[in-house]
Order: sequence, then structure tokens, then C-alpha cells
Amino acid sequence: MNALQWLSRRSTPIILAAVLAVLVYFLWWLNDSYLEDVATNGCITLVMVMGFQLFMGNSGILNWSYVGYVGIGAFASAICSIEPDSKRLQMPVMYEALIGIHMPYWAALLVGAAVAALAAAIIGFPLARLSDMAGAIAQFALLVVFYTLLAQWQQVTNGPRTFTLGGTRSTTIWVALVVGVISIFVAYWFKESALGLRLRASREDRYAAASSGINVVATRYYGYIISAAVGGLAGGLFSHYILSITAKSFYLAELFLVLSMVIIGGSMSVTGAFAGCILITIARQGLRQGEANLTNSGFDVSGMTEIVLAVLMILFLMLRPNGIAAGWEVRWRLPGRRAARSDSKQRS
Amino acid sequence: MADLNEVPVPGPSAQVPPPPDQPGAVLTVQDLFKDFAGLRAVDNVSLQLRTGEILGLIGPNGSGKTTFINLITGLLPKSGGFVVIDQVDTTHFPAAKVARAGLARTFQTIRLFKELTCLENVEAGAVGMGVPRRQAEARAIGLLEEIGLADQAGKRAKSLTFAGQRRLEIARALAAHPKFLLLDEPAAGLNEEETAALLAFLKPLPAAKGIGILIVDHDMHLIMNLCDRIHVLNYGKTIAEGTPAEVRANPEVVGAYLGSAAR
Ligand SMILES: Nc1ncnc2c1ncn2[C@@H]1O[C@H](COP(=O)(O)OP(=O)(O)OP(=O)(O)O)[C@@H](O)[C@H]1O
Ligand SMILES: [Mg+2]
Repeated sequence: MNALQWLSRRSTPIILAAVLAVLVYFLWWLNDSYLEDVATNGCITLVMVMGFQLFMGNSGILNWSYVGYVGIGAFASAICSIEPDSKRLQMPVMYEALIGIHMPYWAALLVGAAVAALAAAIIGFPLARLSDMAGAIAQFALLVVFYTLLAQWQQVTNGPRTFTLGGTRSTTIWVALVVGVISIFVAYWFKESALGLRLRASREDRYAAASSGINVVATRYYGYIISAAVGGLAGGLFSHYILSITAKSFYLAELFLVLSMVIIGGSMSVTGAFAGCILITIARQGLRQGEANLTNSGFDVSGMTEIVLAVLMILFLMLRPNGIAAGWEVRWRLPGRRAARSDSKQRS
Repeated sequence: MADLNEVPVPGPSAQVPPPPDQPGAVLTVQDLFKDFAGLRAVDNVSLQLRTGEILGLIGPNGSGKTTFINLITGLLPKSGGFVVIDQVDTTHFPAAKVARAGLARTFQTIRLFKELTCLENVEAGAVGMGVPRRQAEARAIGLLEEIGLADQAGKRAKSLTFAGQRRLEIARALAAHPKFLLLDEPAAGLNEEETAALLAFLKPLPAAKGIGILIVDHDMHLIMNLCDRIHVLNYGKTIAEGTPAEVRANPEVVGAYLGSAAR
């Protein structure tokens, strides 16, 4: 295979990564701390969205507990990276074993992802066999369990009090960009892998998938774990950027945000989830501004942003249920060649 | 479990018998029963299918043909009886494991992976058996060419014509390199020309690929011209089995089914 073909095959994540890099670089270049914050937060959210799409987009199953795994990654990586002395000072009730842990930022990020994946592997196993409806309810219940644990387990998360990391932000705009790019490649690689194809087949028709030799339960289980790992990674980025976290950061509001991005952009393709993340991030900034301006001029419209996003999501579900992209991936084709493996550009 | 990749796949026109070191396999179904709340849909059915042959399974609407296929492919639990695929007892296997034991199928109501491309549909048939993605892709491209869908490879399955979808389902099943292929009414909804093309495609398959085919259909012209043997069900029970000529001459079959189905 020549270099051009090689590039053409991987063109989707390369194009998306390039778009992200240009956007982030531009916002940084404008040299405005507010815009830099938007860009960094946007990249962190993108990692979260990619992990969410990885499972939901390919399996067709909404994982309600997803943001709980983000929270696990956030706390686990923070516990790993904070200096023992500072932990003892701020969180005297923390388990001694946890206080002793200390490692560099990048290692803490990986541990956060690993702990989230491990939790998913343990919890997902008994749940994988449930039917779709029972499974959805169980995942929702699990989200409540995660939230309650993160909010109450004093010896680990400092309980209802804010968990402060102190020091400087380890997650810079450039770290966030690099991990964002990595998450795009992971999501695309997963979708195109044998496992991803099996999962997509099971999404389309689980009986036909089973009759093709696909173990649907096992396939979903592995997808669930990998998705949780990416979520955990996003959590680590988040906690080392925000520097003070509580369980509330990983609950319904976050889930709603990620869900609206994936629904509006289109869950079935990486391009769709990416587009949803970028567009909603921009729209939210605009809405927030409008909300602030209106409130300042005497109309109290607090909460408008959430309502507009919710209505937008409902409209999409009604009018364009597969989102903006509807399964389509942006792709650069070799001129004059029929690319054999491709999601069709045509929409039916 | 035998390595499915070892089944030789010459082109469709190469009418070679299975090589001597591949002594054909047998699918054995013995005393199969299925009870649906008060209804015995499959009632003590036994049959054998060898690689290299085509067996027809016919009978009136509701006689239990689809249920029979769902039972042996593991999509429905059995009420009694057993199934052996090439010396492996698959009676209690779940569907995915049955497929991996060498049984591939199509569905009476087409079940494609609609939003995936035609190529991905066929690839999934191989990937489901544990074939790596690259190898599956090469296999799928070959099969799409054989079945005449190569120019549609990048299109989504749902955008195919009805006849194209029926073909794609067969290609997906063949991508698994099965020992036995079960076709549930592959000609339903096809016009005469398309049915003739299907007949021409299926006829040489057993010899070319060393597989056995079980075909259910109501098109008696297709069945009589395609099958080596025919098994007839009525109210879930076997009422006859034999060559097309024998079955056509059987008064009970004519009375129960052929009288109304024959054109
Ligand atoms: N899931 C089910 N629950 C209850 N009864 C069923 C079920 N599936 C099939 N049946 C019944 O079992 C009998 C056999 O049905 P089956 O679909 O196997 O017939 P068939 O021979 O394939 O018919 P056709 O030629 O119309 O496809 C029918 O009376 C049908 O109503
Ligand atoms: Mg039927």
C-alpha cells in the first residue's frame, strides 16, 4: 500500500485532529485568558465526548453511568498526583494508604483511566447480561450510586467538601489538545477495529449479529470498559485543570451536556460527535453571553442556556434522530479511486 | 472446532468436488420438538444434511420451517431433540457458538446491518468468526464480486434494492466460511429473472465451496430444480422426504401442499 492510500484510509481522524488543532491554536493566539479557558475546557469535553461516543455510537446503548466513570478518573488521578503532605493537611481523614501515593501528572492520568476501566470491568460484568430496558435502568441506578459514593466517601474523596488539588494547573491548553487528538484517534480506531465492527453489527441487528458468530454480550462488555477508560482519562484532565472538584461535577448536568453534543452531532460517527462537541461548545458560550446580557438589562433569564439546548436536542430527536452527521465521516478520498471501505457519502 | 479458514474456496465456476483430505461433514437433526404455549410448531423432526448437497425444506405456511431453522441455529430454545454439526453436539449452544461451529443462515424477513456499508456487512460475517479485519475485508471484496454487488461496496445496506439485500445476506453468510448454509425463503419477493439468477448462483455452490445447503422456499420451480433431496413438513411433522421426483409424486405432499403451491 502506498503512502497516499495509507493516508486516505486514516484521513478521518487526521482531518478532525487538524481542525481541532487549528481552532485551539487560533483561540490561544488571540491571547485572551477567557478564550484560552474555553479552548482548554472544550478539549477536555471532547475527550469525554469521544469516550461516550465510543460506546453509545457503536452499540446504540446510552450509558447513563458514563459521567460516573469520568468522576472516578478525576478523583483517582488527583489522589495520585497530590503531594502526601498536602493531602494530610487538607484531608486528614483520608486512608493512610492513599495519602502515601504520589506520582507524576502523566502517570496519574493513566491511573485515573485504569481505575475507571477496572471499575467498569467489575461492575459491567453482572450488568452486561441484562435486557436493554433493565440495563438502562441499572446504569441509571449506578450513576446515583457513583454520585453518592463520590459525595460521601470521606476517606477517599473528602466527602461533601470540595476536593482541592492545589498547586498549578498541570492540564495546560496544549496537554488538553494532545489528549483531545489522541481521543479522536482512539474513537476512530475503535470504530474501525474488529471489535468495533462487531459492536456496530450488534447495534443494527442483534439476532443477525449472533447468527454471524458475534457474542453480543461480550462485545458490549469490552466496549463498555474501553469507553470508561477514555472517560476516566477525561476526568483526570478535568481535575488537574479545575483544581477543585466535587461529586456534583460528575452528575446529571455533565451527562446532559455530553448527551446533547452526541445527539445533535450524530452519535454513529466520530465526525458527528466531534461536530456536536465543537458546535455546542460555541453555542453555549453565545447563549451564556446572551443570558448575562439579558439578565443585566433587567430580564432574569437564568437557565435559558440549558432550556435552549434541551429543546434543540428534542427537535433533533424528532426531526433528525441520527444527528447532523447521520453516520457520515469526513474523509479525504484519493481522486479517481473507488475507496472500498467507507461509510457511504450518500444519504438515503 | 475445526479451523474454518481451511475450507478451500475456489471460484464459483470451478466445479471441483471436496478434496479427499476434507471428508464431507454432516449436520444431523434428531427428534426435534418445539412447543409454543399449546402449539407444537415442530413435532419430532429428524433430518441429515451433508456437505456437497442441497436439501429443500418445504411445507405450507405455518408448518414450522422457520421455527426449525431458528431452533437449530440456537435463536430459539428447543423443547426436545438434539443437533450435531460435524460431530459437535450443538444442541445447547447459543446462536453465536452455533455459528462458530459452522452454521450460517439468512432470514425470511431480511436482517441486514442497515446503516453499515455492504462491504462492512459482509466483513462482519467473517469478523464474527474471529477473522482479523484486514483478512475479512479481502474476503468480503471477493464475495461481493462473486455475488455481483462489487460496485455497491461502499453504499449502505439499506440503500440496496430488495433483491440486492437478499443477495447481500447470502454473501454475509458465506463470509463466515460455513460448513452449512441455511436459507429461509431467499427467493421471496424476487421476480422471475432474479430468481433464475439466484438458482444459477446457488446450484454450483455446494461443490465449489464444499458446503451443504438447506433451503426453504415456496417457489416450487426453484426448489425442484435446485435440490438433491426435499424434506416436507406439515403442521410441524415430517410427511415425506425424497428426491424432487419422489416428492412431487407423493399424494400426501400434493394434498397438503403442492396442490396449492405448484404453478
Ligand atoms: N414466537 C412464536 N410464538 C408463538 N407461536 C409461534 C412463534 N413463532 C412461530 N409460531 C407459530 O409456529 C408455527 C410455525 O411457524 P413458522 O414461522 O415456523 O412457519 P413457516 O413454516 O416458516 O411458515 P411460512 O411459510 O409462512 O414462513 C405457526 O403456527 C406460527 O404461528
Ligand atoms: Mg417461515
